[in-house]
Amino acid sequence: MVSTLRKAAAFVVTAVALAALFFVAVNTGSLQVSPEQLFNGLFVAYDDTVSTIYDLRFPRIFIAMVGGAATAVSGVLLQAAIRNPLADPGIIGISSGASLAAVLVTAFFPALLFFTPAFAFAGGMVAFLLVYSLSWRGGLSPLRVILVGVAVSALFTGIMSAFGSSSGSTSSSVASLVDANITMKTWDDFQTLLAYGAIGLVLALFVTKRCDLLAMEDKTARSLGIDVNKNRLLISAIAVLLASISTAIIGPISFLGLVVPHIARLLVGTTHRTLVLYSVILGAFCLLLADTIGRTIAAPYEISAAVIMSIVGGPVFILQLRKARSSYGE
Amino acid sequence: MANNVFTISGLSFSYDQNRIFEGLDLALREGLVTTLIGANGSGKSTLFNLMTKNLKPSAGNVFLRGGDVGLLRLRDFAKLVAIVHQRNTAPADLSVEKLVGYGRFPYRALGRRADAEEDERMVQWALETTGLAEFAKQSVSSLSGGQAQRVWIAMALAQGSKVLLLDEPTTFLDVRYQLDILRLVRRLNEEFGMTVVMVLHDVNQALHYSDEVVALASGRIVAQGAPEDIVTSELLEQVYDVSLRVVSVDGKPFVLEV
Repeated sequence: MVSTLRKAAAFVVTAVALAALFFVAVNTGSLQVSPEQLFNGLFVAYDDTVSTIYDLRFPRIFIAMVGGAATAVSGVLLQAAIRNPLADPGIIGISSGASLAAVLVTAFFPALLFFTPAFAFAGGMVAFLLVYSLSWRGGLSPLRVILVGVAVSALFTGIMSAFGSSSGSTSSSVASLVDANITMKTWDDFQTLLAYGAIGLVLALFVTKRCDLLAMEDKTARSLGIDVNKNRLLISAIAVLLASISTAIIGPISFLGLVVPHIARLLVGTTHRTLVLYSVILGAFCLLLADTIGRTIAAPYEISAAVIMSIVGGPVFILQLRKARSSYGE
Repeated sequence: MANNVFTISGLSFSYDQNRIFEGLDLALREGLVTTLIGANGSGKSTLFNLMTKNLKPSAGNVFLRGGDVGLLRLRDFAKLVAIVHQRNTAPADLSVEKLVGYGRFPYRALGRRADAEEDERMVQWALETTGLAEFAKQSVSSLSGGQAQRVWIAMALAQGSKVLLLDEPTTFLDVRYQLDILRLVRRLNEEFGMTVVMVLHDVNQALHYSDEVVALASGRIVAQGAPEDIVTSELLEQVYDVSLRVVSVDGKPFVLEV
């Protein structure tokens, strides 16, 4: 069992690390500020350097943090809903469904740009229901979900890449969604992400107890008054909302929703209330770290955070898959 | 009907083409320990699942104290009837106390505890009644099979219902824990007035620990009543398709191989 002290330590250490990383991220690039200068520039008096950083770097940093938190929580919920530790919104096609919808809106109906998150959510739900129904055979085998999900994801990603290639540089917002590029984001993007992300997180906290109960056998959960199928759909829908909103702003990020909950379970245990709250911090940390590394490692060029996540997440996924094979006996 | 806990009338059910029940009628009395016995495939597990809302009858009804269970919400059903299923799993790091606390879920409203004091009281009572108080802080995975089965029963008790349904509660246990569980069941009935309906494989355990047995064969009820009144070698041959001898031990029937 994970002791309360260890849980508290995990929260504090991760929060401090996130704060430290925030300052590193703020100072990564051609302009640099000290913490004092930053504080003064933000809250006391106008400062040219701070103002530039505020307009260009802050939105990106905050978007990475909120997007990371939303994606990580989405992974926690999805894994609980389909009782599958390998479920990740990126791997099973939800993100690609969401970003395809976002790309289509951006390319063909620019007037509806304001509603992109809603379309992304619809796209994510379509992908999820497709995977869910195609892999259902009297039950959900964890590996079948992954296989079907990878196929659905490949299909959507393929269509999307086709749009990305054919629209070329004329529609840079399409391209940035396809590549999951966080550069050139504004405070407006952040506000949209934060608003929907907060709604998703609040909804997530309402269903954490149900997530706990779904970890038991279906019949046992039913005997406690949980309509298992209905709750699976409800929890999945919240997961899809969180993944889709993040995808609509950042683009598809794979493996984050897999890696963060996995580490979180090791550090704070399997109770979903704690797991969701901790995944908010750790998810924010991981995506900001990936983005900051992507900005520095090959400067002046940038590697997208999604690429960094895939390089780190791929091996973790393989390890998880090997573990799952032994425990599910497939 | 007033003192019947379950009343089943005209119940039909089939798995695809395979008809299990057709027009089954059965009444189970309140306040007793009743055991369903029958060979594999006799329909006792199917009947259990129909009574617990895990399967829907194709015709007929299951009534709980006169109310159709098909119309009850799962959550309301959970306040009236607690069920311990045969197979159970819990996350490795979950503590006994927390798992037993899950039994209070039906009483939550809008995702919050409705009455924390009552929850606490019921969990304590369930832990003490099942003799698990000293293991409260331990993880469920650290317990032996027999103790773990008690945890699942404790979770059911925390639901605070007067009816307890058990599906083969002794199946995966060695004999010491089997008796341990069955004695607990008797105590729940005698001390707390709980009505118990269970499915058992071991016919002698069924005869010894039940007030009434219901014998099923090929989807029909072939006998129902107190063990000493109904159990004969003819009945057992009809139920299990094997000849067995029935002797009397302390006034209760006991079954031996011939």
